[in-house]
Amino acid sequence: MKNKTLLLGVLLAGSLAGAGGALAHHSTAAEFDSSKPITFTGTVQKVMWMNPHIYTHIEVKQADGGSFVYHVEGGPPNSLFRQGWRKDTLKIGTVVTVSGWRAKNADSPNVGQATITAADGKKLFNGDGPSKAAE
Amino acid sequence: MPRAAISVRAIAWAFALQCSAAVAWAATPAENFPRMANGKPDLSGHWSNPYTPDMAAQGKVLDPATRQPLQLSRAPLPDAKASAAGNAPRSLDLPYTEWGLRQWKSYDPVNDGDYAGSCLPFGMSRNINSPHGVQFVQNPTSIAMLFEQNTWFHWVPTAGQKWPADMPPSWNGVSTGHWDGDVLVVETTGFDGYTRLDTAGHPHSRQMKLTNTFRRIDARTLEHTVIVHDPKTYTRDWANVRTWKLKPASDVVMEYSCEENNLGNLFSGAIKPWKPPENEDEE
Repeated sequence: MKNKTLLLGVLLAGSLAGAGGALAHHSTAAEFDSSKPITFTGTVQKVMWMNPHIYTHIEVKQADGGSFVYHVEGGPPNSLFRQGWRKDTLKIGTVVTVSGWRAKNADSPNVGQATITAADGKKLFNGDGPSKAAE
Repeated sequence: MPRAAISVRAIAWAFALQCSAAVAWAATPAENFPRMANGKPDLSGHWSNPYTPDMAAQGKVLDPATRQPLQLSRAPLPDAKASAAGNAPRSLDLPYTEWGLRQWKSYDPVNDGDYAGSCLPFGMSRNINSPHGVQFVQNPTSIAMLFEQNTWFHWVPTAGQKWPADMPPSWNGVSTGHWDGDVLVVETTGFDGYTRLDTAGHPHSRQMKLTNTFRRIDARTLEHTVIVHDPKTYTRDWANVRTWKLKPASDVVMEYSCEENNLGNLFSGAIKPWKPPENEDEE
């Protein structure tokens, strides 16, 4: 338990430490629209541990009974690894709340500038955190 | 001899030794970094190079000779394209020529094609500016720079070896190194002109000579300078000075495949693919 708490602290500190960096080479401004903020709660379906950014697939139940899977952009995997993250740190099935920007392309499921908050209120990714440090 | 007398004498002796050591250190600083068999500083190691998305940031543009900040207008450029690095709008932040200013104002990777987003080589300058580490592997006749950024490498001969005279222009150029005392001087030319100096998109031409120097200050620190000499783009030479830190031994250089996710973004149109310029003479 103590180790778990410590790990979460490290992850949070790591993501906060990245805040304020500069944009990725595939410009956030190019892909995401700051005028399209979105907040939703869903279940972690998959973590795509890939360069230059990881993507967390989060399934959200819809009113009609169906579901929609958002692809939430995160930091570069090598940086996250050094901060203590692993591919399986965020467990499949975890319920999280995401705040971020929708993609400019209306058909895209991508969400950028994302803050991912766990059910207990702890922030896992913080806004423009580690993703900002990718290049 | 009484025990108290021994103690006092021992303390005095130890104090004297400490003082002489301190004086000696002040006179000739102890060198605490390794050297190669040929006596040159060994720069080997995995280094943390400071992420530099904007080489023209306030106070960072220096006179190469004096290392004092250049006085630059920094007047806004209302007719320039939007910033490519998400920071303040473009301004007269470097000593541009007319041609250079045109390149600076018109850079628009979002709409015209993003060479970095397309995972094409960033160029020597932007490789060094990247937020990921650089592993130096050195022997007495060369040094290799292993950039974690996109798992790129750059080889620098340091003992007078010659590149073929007819090497084609390339994204990263070709480098030759030499030692100026304990300072490694790496001069890079032969650029194809497709790259930018940094994420912000500061321009350069194919005529650029980029000079990077590396001086090991202590076991964990490198002083890095870069001088941009490009008369087609800038009316005078300018420089940045930075400090690199050796990463802990547990922090190893890792694989980095830009294409993993960016291929999808290129296919979806989220990133506009880069295309070679139609008129290379203008580049």
